[in-house]
Amino acid sequence: MSRDDMVEIFRRVLETDSVSVDSDFFASGGDSLLGTRVLSAVARAEGVELSFEDLIEAPTPAALADRVASVTR
Amino acid sequence: MSVVVVGAGIAGLTAAAELAGRGVDVQVLEARDRVGGRTRGIEIAPGGWADAGAAYLGERHTALLELMARHDLKTVPTVMEGDSRFDVRGAASAQSVPGRFPPLSGVALGELFDLLDEVTRSVRVDAPWLGPDAARLDSLTAAEWADTNLRHPDSRLFFPLFLGEMMAAAPADVSVLHMAFYLRSGGGLRYLNAFAGGAQEWRIDGGAHRLSEALAAGLGDRVRLSEPVTAVEQDDTGATVRSASGTTRADAVIIALPPVLADRIDFTPELPARRSGERTGPGCAVKVHLIHPSPLWREQGLSGWSVSADGPLLSTVDDSPADGSAGVLTGFVTGEEARRFAALSADEQRATAIAQAGRLFPDLPEPIGFHVTDWVNDPYSRGCYAALFGPGDWLALGPGLTRPHGRVHWAGTETSTEFFGLMEGAIRSGRRAAAEAAARP
Ligand SMILES: Cc1cc2nc3c(=O)[nH]c(=O)nc-3n(C[C@H](O)[C@H](O)[C@H](O)COP(=O)(O)OP(=O)(O)OC[C@H]3O[C@@H](n4cnc5c(N)ncnc54)[C@H](O)[C@@H]3O)c2cc1C
Repeated sequence: MSRDDMVEIFRRVLETDSVSVDSDFFASGGDSLLGTRVLSAVARAEGVELSFEDLIEAPTPAALADRVASVTR
Repeated sequence: MSVVVVGAGIAGLTAAAELAGRGVDVQVLEARDRVGGRTRGIEIAPGGWADAGAAYLGERHTALLELMARHDLKTVPTVMEGDSRFDVRGAASAQSVPGRFPPLSGVALGELFDLLDEVTRSVRVDAPWLGPDAARLDSLTAAEWADTNLRHPDSRLFFPLFLGEMMAAAPADVSVLHMAFYLRSGGGLRYLNAFAGGAQEWRIDGGAHRLSEALAAGLGDRVRLSEPVTAVEQDDTGATVRSASGTTRADAVIIALPPVLADRIDFTPELPARRSGERTGPGCAVKVHLIHPSPLWREQGLSGWSVSADGPLLSTVDDSPADGSAGVLTGFVTGEEARRFAALSADEQRATAIAQAGRLFPDLPEPIGFHVTDWVNDPYSRGCYAALFGPGDWLALGPGLTRPHGRVHWAGTETSTEFFGLMEGAIRSGRRAAAEAAARP
């Protein structure tokens, strides 16, 4: 999953276009409920089960995409 | 022009205050010996109040905020800092975790919220009975919906807890249409669930009951307590309202009651259709307050928020008064648990609630005060948080929800498609009904 794919997921879940690869999910209006919806979107797209802690530790599209890559590799 | 308002909850009092402001001769008949209905304060320490009924509001509750400002009532932020406690795996395995959601599969919870969001967006919020999929969604219970749609054990475990928290309903009690409508009406899944930035952002300083008390003070002796209304008769020249002390005559009547209680009144001529159905549930919530000298859990790095899979306390919240006069943990007992808990003796209630609080917060001492508010068995609140529309209800009842019956107009939070079930919905309904009555020829 590319960083841009992850930006798309963030945008859809946060319902805003103002998300870039380095936007922090929680600073962009994300909360724990919306966070779980990023996790389910990633699972649907990549078959990878991330945890909520993954999102807390990697809260930007860039960091989260890297984490997905490290799991799938 | 004269109007009798039946019910001195927030809806009835709002309607009466609006009418009085327009110079209408208004009387409010209230069954209980207090105003406020589903808002009620309990004094948990000298000058310190806790909300036994409604408590929370957020910035989208514009009518409520406006009314509060007019009566000089302030907001207090809800505090939610520190770790949460979760006991969702059985065998009293409580654990501390950051954030609002229990340590269940995040992906499973996300799938649940995706599905809820989808069905929530599909309803027509201003007229749920008219949406494209209304008939099908109205015929299914939320329990049946969960059975078909939720595959992961964690989402199946969490769904009833979430629904209990949001609307004090067991999944078998409500139709999918009602669940989706309710979530949409309150501002959507995220808004309704959130504390900061959501529907639980603030409480009313000194207690939510103060709003009704302020409205009632402005009305003075036009509010008559201990006057349960039993009948409303209409003729060519007016309406006669029968209550405990006799009859009151008026040009129009506003009934500001939950639908199940409105149906107990005898109307002549009869209503064309009932206001509640066989499956309309009264809602089921019991609030438990555990009082400590101060919010001791904060010193332990805990927010006071907890979620448990087993009752009675399915969730707890820090509701301490802003002035630090006491520490208040509010326990929510909802759905099936509320029915079970409400049937226990006072001693059993106390013993089970305190034992569970001890497992959830093992480092807290025994509370110095303990209060139970049972809305399940309260004869004048058949609906708490609000009426629960079961299968078939929205299609049958929706079209008549606000339609006047001759001189009779309808208010109450259950008649508002905006913020249904909340204080905000009650205020909006009261304003609408007052405008309707004032516009009568
Ligand atoms: C435990 C609990 C928690 C809640 N939490 C929240 C919250 O956090 N935020 C929020 O916004 N909302 C909350 N609510 C919902 C909120 O309390 C209601 O939406 C709102 O108070 C309803 O106001 P109402 O005027 O429509 O009805 P009510 O308050 O029910 O008023 C109806 C009035 O009519 C009276 N009455 C009944 N029968 C008769 C009769 N025959 N004759 C005369 N009078 C009669 C009743 O005594 C009552 O005073 C909660 C409710 C409960 C119970």
